[in-house]
Amino acid sequence: MISQILGGVMLAYLAAGFLFLAAILWSSPRLKSFALGLLVGALAAHTLAFFGRWLASYLQAAAVTPPAGFLAKLQLIVYQAPLSNFYESLVFFSWCVAALSLLFLHRYAESFLGVVGGLLASLVLAYASLGVDSRIKPLMPALKSNWLLVHVITCFVGYAAFGIAFGAAVLYLVRGFTKQSQGPALPLLDRLIYRAAVIGFIFLTLGILTGAVWAETAWGRYWSWDPKETASLITWFIYAALLHARLVQGWQGRPIAWLAVAGFGAVLFTYLGVSFLLPGLHSYLS
Amino acid sequence: MTQTSSPTSPLGRLWKTLTSLRLTLVLLIMLALVSLVGTVRVEVFGTLWFLAPLGLLVLNLTACLIRGLPQALHRSRLRLTPEAALELPERARFAWPQNRAPHAWVEGTLRRELGPLKKTVIGEETVYFWERGRFRPLGPYVVHLALLVILTGALMGRFLGVEGSLTLTEGETAQDFTAEGKEIPLAFQAHLDRFQVFFYPDGTPREFRSDLTFTKPGGAPKQAVCRVNQPVSFGDYTFYQASYGSVPRLEVKQGENSQIIEAPEGQTVQIPGSQARFRVLEYQPDLVMPEHGEEMHLGPAARLAFWEDGEHPRLVVLLQKHPELADQQTGPYHLFLQGAKYFSVLQVKRDPGVWWVYAGFLLLLPGFYLAFLRPAERWALALARTPKGAWQARLLGTAPRARETFQDRLKRLQELLQKGGAA
Repeated sequence: MISQILGGVMLAYLAAGFLFLAAILWSSPRLKSFALGLLVGALAAHTLAFFGRWLASYLQAAAVTPPAGFLAKLQLIVYQAPLSNFYESLVFFSWCVAALSLLFLHRYAESFLGVVGGLLASLVLAYASLGVDSRIKPLMPALKSNWLLVHVITCFVGYAAFGIAFGAAVLYLVRGFTKQSQGPALPLLDRLIYRAAVIGFIFLTLGILTGAVWAETAWGRYWSWDPKETASLITWFIYAALLHARLVQGWQGRPIAWLAVAGFGAVLFTYLGVSFLLPGLHSYLS
Repeated sequence: MTQTSSPTSPLGRLWKTLTSLRLTLVLLIMLALVSLVGTVRVEVFGTLWFLAPLGLLVLNLTACLIRGLPQALHRSRLRLTPEAALELPERARFAWPQNRAPHAWVEGTLRRELGPLKKTVIGEETVYFWERGRFRPLGPYVVHLALLVILTGALMGRFLGVEGSLTLTEGETAQDFTAEGKEIPLAFQAHLDRFQVFFYPDGTPREFRSDLTFTKPGGAPKQAVCRVNQPVSFGDYTFYQASYGSVPRLEVKQGENSQIIEAPEGQTVQIPGSQARFRVLEYQPDLVMPEHGEEMHLGPAARLAFWEDGEHPRLVVLLQKHPELADQQTGPYHLFLQGAKYFSVLQVKRDPGVWWVYAGFLLLLPGFYLAFLRPAERWALALARTPKGAWQARLLGTAPRARETFQDRLKRLQELLQKGGAA
């Protein structure tokens, strides 16, 4: 049931992305509002599916260890948030991309944001539904922590913001090469890259901090140079460089766009590369 | 600090390099590259390749703090005065006929849009003024200070802290633990009363816990339960549930002789008085097998490698509930499983730096808030009569780091003020 909904959501994101593209090409406000409606609807269904999976995950755990009392129930609900394996993280990542691009759309009303958000969200969701084990598995002891919820949410909001910065940066660079006049103005793209990178940087930092506090309670080490930790630090260094170059040195345009592209490369390495290529505490290999 | 050395002297040049942003960028990129190597070769983080740029970055941060913090502090102490407010760049003008003094209405409008504002009268002019983000200049310095505090904590942990591990079998008492190959005394006794593992129906562990008793010499014993994600502190040390294993009990029969051997999982054990050795590869408290769509519980089971000198190792499977399977074992030895107990592996740590690290984490939050979410914004509205007697307002304002917010607000203020009958 939930996977069918998510399949529909994936198609809706894809359609919304192309409709936004069409709205740019034919400068049609009607197409744009239609695409926006589709994106909002798909996000609503996605949210529903997310909570549906949360409920299913809770019920499955409650069947094994029935919680006694209200507080125990609450605790189990927090533990069973659907953020504990690769599949669930992809679904949530896709949700974050869609939600964040909607927020940016609300602020800037630029259709290309819908293109970036819709296509990226549907791509991630497609990967989740096609190539990843989606079964709900019981939580291993190390994941039973209240920090799981904050850690994963902060990290993925950060990743999603970096994704949007990446989209804007690619557009900036492409427009620089082709010299075409259609689409958003370069200064606006430049501002968007910066805005999204700031949001991403704040959330990535929070993600690293919450992860460190959690690691300290679980393993007695707030930092152990686990490949994932190291990769997130690399990402952090790159975006710190971007923000300094922009804020203090006043760099704009191309170099910032290239840094945003490199930064998102580091994000992908942190999220996927490390998990599949290298063994470690965060590995999705089992 | 810089006043004493001119920018061209060697010291002055060094200072200039240390405070330069170019150095920061170069170091950040270098650290990123070295860390990339570190994802596969963790040793790199202990070498100069990583520590040198990190140390330089600390110098760079400190130098920037020393250079910029006094000025930032000074700037954040400067409140917006009416005189300074009148110096802000002018953004718009509004006028009202002379019979309608707009003061109350203007004040109300500004208050609704901006929040509490100040008001003063200078000569003929009424000045309303408002500011936000006065402490913005402190933001980056708070962030950098927080990073230095975190690194200080990390250094303290490295040089003043100890980290090791303690392996306890059920019923065992320890007075020291192992750290980097050395035995370190605990100054108290740690006793493992009981170790329990709970499993999910699919056989993966759901929870494991060590019931511990700590006793200081001459003190009352204190009991504590240590679980994954729930460490226990006693004395100077904190204990974390890291992992566990089994110690199966095996009965080894050779003809009429029989002896009991306790063999921890993964360790090679020699059968006393012989050349035969074995190693328990895996122990399961309850082996579950699917059988005609149902689960069959076979009870405790162990898999072990057994070999005598000069022979190939043989794999042997033992089921406690089925001792008759031992008849299939070849050779003079017959092994029987007689149950098992657990050993618990605890991570033991003392880290006086961790509170510094956490303090740095907390300090980062207001730093980010100031640096990114509180851009400085200043507004003023000067209201006076023109020589002809009509009322005229000048809207002044600036927000150098938040142009978009500023433009939006300017647009709204213009609309609001014009709605109120201004021409």
